Amino acid sequence: MIEKPKTSPLQQGETRKPSLVSPPVATLASLLVPGMGQVLARYYRRGLVIFGSFVSIIGLLIWRFGLAARYDTGIVDIFKKAIYLQPFLLFLIILVVLTYLWIAVDAFRVAKHAGGQPVGVFFLILVVFFSIGWQIGQIDLVAMTTQANQAGPALSRVLWPWKRAISYPEEIIIGKTTVEAPCAEEPYVPGEPDVSGPYLKADPTCGSPTVQSGEAGTLIHLEGFNFAPNENVEIWWEDPIGNEFRQRQEGAYVSVTTDENGEFEVDIVFPYRLLPPAAGEGPLIWTIQGRQIASIGKAEPSTELKLAIEKIIETIFIGMMATLFGIVLALPVSFLAARNLMSASKFTLLIYYLTRGVLNVIRSIEPLIWAIIAVIVVGLGPFAGILALTLHSIAALAKLYSEAIESIDPGPIEAIHATGANWIQTVVYAVVPQVIPPFVSFTIYRWDINIRMSTIIGFVGGGGIGFLLAQWIRLLDYSAAGIAVWFIAVTVAILDYVSAEIRARFI
Amino acid sequence: MLEIRHLTKIYGDGTVALKDVSFEVPDGEFLIVIGLSGSGKSTLLRCINRLIDPTEGEIIWNGVDVARVQGEELRVIRRQIGMIFQHFNLVKRSTVMTNVLAGRLGYAPTQSSMLHQFSEKDRKMAWNALKRLSIEDQAYKRASELSGGQQQRVGIARALMQEPKMILADEPVASLDPVLAHSILQYLERLNREDKMTVLCSLHYLDLVQRYATRVIGLREGEIVYQGSKADIRAMTDEEFKEIYGEEAERVGGGLEGSLGNGKGETK
Repeated sequence: MIEKPKTSPLQQGETRKPSLVSPPVATLASLLVPGMGQVLARYYRRGLVIFGSFVSIIGLLIWRFGLAARYDTGIVDIFKKAIYLQPFLLFLIILVVLTYLWIAVDAFRVAKHAGGQPVGVFFLILVVFFSIGWQIGQIDLVAMTTQANQAGPALSRVLWPWKRAISYPEEIIIGKTTVEAPCAEEPYVPGEPDVSGPYLKADPTCGSPTVQSGEAGTLIHLEGFNFAPNENVEIWWEDPIGNEFRQRQEGAYVSVTTDENGEFEVDIVFPYRLLPPAAGEGPLIWTIQGRQIASIGKAEPSTELKLAIEKIIETIFIGMMATLFGIVLALPVSFLAARNLMSASKFTLLIYYLTRGVLNVIRSIEPLIWAIIAVIVVGLGPFAGILALTLHSIAALAKLYSEAIESIDPGPIEAIHATGANWIQTVVYAVVPQVIPPFVSFTIYRWDINIRMSTIIGFVGGGGIGFLLAQWIRLLDYSAAGIAVWFIAVTVAILDYVSAEIRARFI
Repeated sequence: MLEIRHLTKIYGDGTVALKDVSFEVPDGEFLIVIGLSGSGKSTLLRCINRLIDPTEGEIIWNGVDVARVQGEELRVIRRQIGMIFQHFNLVKRSTVMTNVLAGRLGYAPTQSSMLHQFSEKDRKMAWNALKRLSIEDQAYKRASELSGGQQQRVGIARALMQEPKMILADEPVASLDPVLAHSILQYLERLNREDKMTVLCSLHYLDLVQRYATRVIGLREGEIVYQGSKADIRAMTDEEFKEIYGEEAERVGGGLEGSLGNGKGETK
């Protein structure tokens, strides 16, 4: 935007023709149309840049005002509402007015040839653009600072997720008894409980369920035996057609704690349950369950940890395979893209330009987008990721390789040729030693990039740990996501180090 | 005996680099080619070992027309002609030893040389060449670690590995300082005198030409404009030199006193 002075100010004073109009006229012209005064003063480029900038500023402002007050009509209403909603717009208006005035002043100065070229007006225009950028970007430092603490819980889980990495195998212990509803003429006697495990006793053994209109069901006194001591027990029901549901009372699930003998007592109300006609008429058998979740055995890696390990391995291999395919396919292509090899005839030159063009197009599309396309072709999974990364690697590596080929020193080739060596010997002794180090360096670099890319290619279904990470973040399971993040960070750090080491050896 | 007859080279873009050049070089001669850059010196030297294919003319060397041979025959001729370059043209990342051994590629079997395997005889020969140029203690350094003078000596050692009958030296001292220039040319002179190798060398310092040449050819725009014997060139004045050469002509200065011809390199 800033005009480049082609010559020094002194020379301009000598060579520039005088202004077409007097300074006050130039000022007026610039007040009429910003930049016109400068044009009239023969500062054509300056005038056009000022005009263009000012028009775009006005256009952007109209857009932002319209957006801020989108339900209003009429200039005044829109203006008032927008300023009311976003006071920052008022500041912008003031800036623009200042700029408008300064453009007029600038016109006066250049028309007067007041030494040099003042750049203040361009600085002001830049300030206006950046201020508009601030408004468009909805930059809100207040929200950023005052709401930062909200990230705390999630962040702490991400930063230290290792509680989630271990789990204890659990088992549900169920003790049961049965009751009848409604009561039959003969009192119902449930079968003898199996006293070797946990069991329940209900009193009475028959009753009536709560009805929908609100009449409470029979109060049943429940006793439990042989449960694990000092642990929670949940009360569940199984209705006559085999559906299980939890006992609720006063809006909460019923749960009791066993005493040191593993026994408990609780009173429950026979719950309401809508039974379909298929359940039949007459006395039906309901089952009451006391459920206890007990940990058995030692701590073991959690499912999330195992998944993360599996997927990080998959990730590394996605990167490796993509790099391998990339190298294999980029090598031949790179020769086609090396100008020094392809400038022999017009035909080869055409191939060179075609190859270069295709490579540039492939390279300019992000691997994530290639992955989306690959998923359409081969479905979700690591192969889609490998395809996407391979494609991008070919384009990037072929370009780097071809540049390495282009920059080799022809001298040694000539010298080895002169010793009477044949073609293959010349390649081995003069070309390969020159090309190997950059090739290795570029390849390692690409491997590095591929592994890093493969960690996020899963976000679009390309396999690897990114898939898990995306899922866990969406499920708000920040601890599990933290495990994935840690794995990614550690893997990338290790590979960074390794690749730097390898490259240092080859250069 | 090398005989050049009506040699012409026109490049693909139409540049005429050599125009009907004819001359003879008896065996054992130290022929110096002088001329401005662009006068065709490099093209002439490169035509002789066919790094560049001449457009017309004959290059008769020991009865064979080098300009006509192809394939294996050309390789056999090439390996008998050593070449030394202005920019040394060493493979910078390879060791000095590998660079020197590369001079043997014309003789070595393709397969083993591809695996960097050379016979015991070749290795011994490489050591002797390095000793002769007194750079044997640099043998396992990378070529890029050596100074310019040392690199040029590696270049000479590489040429020696070919057991050449003739040496082509394209501006061998143009990238070196004057003292080193004398040192390098003395090595060439020794090869010329002691080993009876024919030397064709392009130079552009008058005093070096006067000191080393047994014959001189002057080229300008691809044509021979001067031919002189040893006596002619000794008698030549700066003015005459400038006439062939244009204003770029210069003396290296320092003369022989500043140069160091050491006998250390002699092994024979």
